[in-house]
Amino acid sequence: MKRRADVVGWVVVALLAWMVAYPILIVGREAARESAIIAFARRPAEWQVLWASIWISLASVALAAAIGIPLAFLFTRVEFPGSRLLGALIALPAVLPPLVGVIAFLFLYGESGFVARGVQALLRLDHSPWHLQGAGAILLVHAYSMYVYFYLLTRAGLARIDGSMIEAAQALGASRWRTLRRVTLPLLRPALAGAALLTFMTALGSFSAPYVFGGGFRVMPTQIVASKLNGDLPRAMVETVALALVALVALSLLQRTEGQATLVALGKGTAPAPRVLVGGRGLVTTAAWALAVVLLLPHFTLLLISLVPYATWTTETLPPVLNLDNYRRLFAESDRLEPLVNSLWMALVATAASLVIALAAAWLTVRRRVRPRRIIESLMVLPWALPGTVFALALATAFSVQRPLGLRWVLVGTSAILPLAYLVRSLPLAGRAVLAGYRQLDPALEEAAAILGAGRWRTLWRVTVPLLRPSLAAGASLAFVTALGDFVTSIVLYTYNTRPISIEILSSLRLNELGIAAAFGVLLMTVSAVALLLGSRTEAWS
Amino acid sequence: MNGFLRTEVLSKRFGDTIALERLSFAVEQGEILALLGPSGSGKTTTLRLLAGFEAPDAGRVWLDGEDITSLPPARRRSGMVFQHYALFPHLDVGDNVAFGLGKRGKGEGGSVSQRVRGALELVQLAGFERRKVQQLSGGQQQRVALARALAPEPRVLLLDEPLSNLDPTLRERTRRELRQLIKRVGITSVFVTHEQEEAFDLGDRVAVLRDGRLEQLGTPDELYERPRTLFVATFVGRANVLRDEVAQAFGGKPGEVVVVRPERLQFSAQGLAGVVRERRYTGASAFYSVEARDATLRLEVQARPDAAAIGDTVHLEATGVLAFPDERGVATP
Repeated sequence: MKRRADVVGWVVVALLAWMVAYPILIVGREAARESAIIAFARRPAEWQVLWASIWISLASVALAAAIGIPLAFLFTRVEFPGSRLLGALIALPAVLPPLVGVIAFLFLYGESGFVARGVQALLRLDHSPWHLQGAGAILLVHAYSMYVYFYLLTRAGLARIDGSMIEAAQALGASRWRTLRRVTLPLLRPALAGAALLTFMTALGSFSAPYVFGGGFRVMPTQIVASKLNGDLPRAMVETVALALVALVALSLLQRTEGQATLVALGKGTAPAPRVLVGGRGLVTTAAWALAVVLLLPHFTLLLISLVPYATWTTETLPPVLNLDNYRRLFAESDRLEPLVNSLWMALVATAASLVIALAAAWLTVRRRVRPRRIIESLMVLPWALPGTVFALALATAFSVQRPLGLRWVLVGTSAILPLAYLVRSLPLAGRAVLAGYRQLDPALEEAAAILGAGRWRTLWRVTVPLLRPSLAAGASLAFVTALGDFVTSIVLYTYNTRPISIEILSSLRLNELGIAAAFGVLLMTVSAVALLLGSRTEAWS
Repeated sequence: MNGFLRTEVLSKRFGDTIALERLSFAVEQGEILALLGPSGSGKTTTLRLLAGFEAPDAGRVWLDGEDITSLPPARRRSGMVFQHYALFPHLDVGDNVAFGLGKRGKGEGGSVSQRVRGALELVQLAGFERRKVQQLSGGQQQRVALARALAPEPRVLLLDEPLSNLDPTLRERTRRELRQLIKRVGITSVFVTHEQEEAFDLGDRVAVLRDGRLEQLGTPDELYERPRTLFVATFVGRANVLRDEVAQAFGGKPGEVVVVRPERLQFSAQGLAGVVRERRYTGASAFYSVEARDATLRLEVQARPDAAAIGDTVHLEATGVLAFPDERGVATP
């Protein structure tokens, strides 16, 4: 019986390796051409771009930490009117898919955005007071969208800290500052290292912000796509490998810090009660609400712009006409509806497939403990370790030739390639959720089903799947939202017939149909928010 | 060897550790067998092999004349009560009990719901069908687990530490009720425990396991009065273990280890001299801790509560001893 499970395990390894590792290896082999590598090494521009990718990512980590950590402390430790609601609202940048967040920033802070128009009107300038472009603009978007990682992980870390440790430090005579420095922060280190890793990897792979706001300023992901679109494939390959190497080096360095700090709190304990603010209450409350407004402005901007009909807003500070015309057009015009339908079905297919694979992987690695379980787990997380551009290029390269003996088929240009790409990208998310859920499942429950006469499938459907529902829902919602909002792999792999929403947003922007782009953005945002809410609200069986 | 449920030289290793070594025993129809042993003795592994969750490396399992060694758990028609009950939290009490009654859903014919009701009546939980399992007390959960295991009318009932999850105050009563119920149903049962009292109270016969081997299988009286090994003598019941000259003073031959139960020691005018250091009163009797041989030896004596006081100098005589040829390990309960 064990041996049969091992065979199934190796089949899953083969499938995952074909989807995840094989394309990367093909890119690696294609890149291993002396001439291309020498050309890359000799071009100073390439090194500049690589360096830009690294420093932008490091700066994003610093900015996100500077915003997210203090906010987490504020909302965990201090109570003021509305602190609970605000504490939840503050995580809202997470529901903006990358490209949608970027266009919201464009409408808000761009040179013809609300803020610029306001300043222009206020100071009576003849032209826009600024251009939203270059490294500063990218960092602004990164700080806004990535502080959430630090905020959420720090809050989770704070909730896990045993309140009695803080009290013990204070009973030993430590001041508030000393307690923070010597007790709280060291205990938070694993959470902070995790947030730093997540932010760094996201920033390194970030494509939308540099693509829209970069102007002449290039980072490696935009550089790779530019090389690819220019038809300079050898160059794109070398660049892809360079970016992948940076990602892997960063991952191993940051994981080492995380691994060293496995501080386990002894005993369960409860988190310290939040301090009810007495003095300065008004000031903190006002500041917090002002912050919330700033955080929610992009969402509102998107909503407002989506209500502005085409060509009705030119030089006015505020749009003169507001109606639902864009939404009507979205659903009435078939070539507008098409991307919506495309995105939905492709994301659903990818989500379903990644759930099935995650469930099989969890069963094989956690329950059957098959021989290749470590390989299965590594292959499942690999797509997370590498930027989306790397995978887009790898899939584009691997599946653009017909070589059945090499297990390569022409999938580029067909409607199979994007769901495959979404599947690969969402595997780590679904995998992590389902594996964690399976680990917490008492094996006796499945044994009880078996001894009561249930076969493998009946046990799966009647016991395992219902009990894993919270993990499956969480994994599915994350996978679905990632696939639905994907831009970076879509732009490399889409065809006109399978163009997803993000591509349609981009072309609407090019045609200056801002309202349509915003309406698509609002739809994406809403569906993402609903999916994430459903995913997190599915109750566990206690 | 006969027997309704029977194992033949079962062996199982996990990696380098030997879990079971050539284990053979037989259980008669309608009999309750207790598997008793310290942790790591292989009792749980034995139960899992009987259930079919693990496959033996060697040996066979026979049930009612059928070789079930390679039969998957789902086809063995066994019932099992798990240590933490493993009730399905997403199903109510009725659906938990109905789970083993085949794929026929509720409502189709009266038979499934009738059998569910019957099983719940058996454990005195009639009318609990639509309760959530999380709402039940520990004792009720245990009875639902029992009803679920019995509902499909299995050929054999396996119980993994069935009482360990209960309140100590509840345990003794539940133990008696469980035995009565099993006897009423008349099902052949095997249960695992590490508590001697539980094994004696619940089992018709007890199999003492150690390091994956069967040390002795017998009725509680046999195990207590006529233990075959030093290990059984010391694992089952309280025991004073005596060696060398002391052992010989109590009638042992050179090289023998002598075991004396506390109730087989008595205070008398002569014999081994010692000083009473502690006295533990239990009502009907008291346990005295006696220090002898310049404080190098401590003996436990069970006697009348007024037999001695702390500080008294006493002499000890044995009314019965068990002698074992070698020193193949003493149990440390």
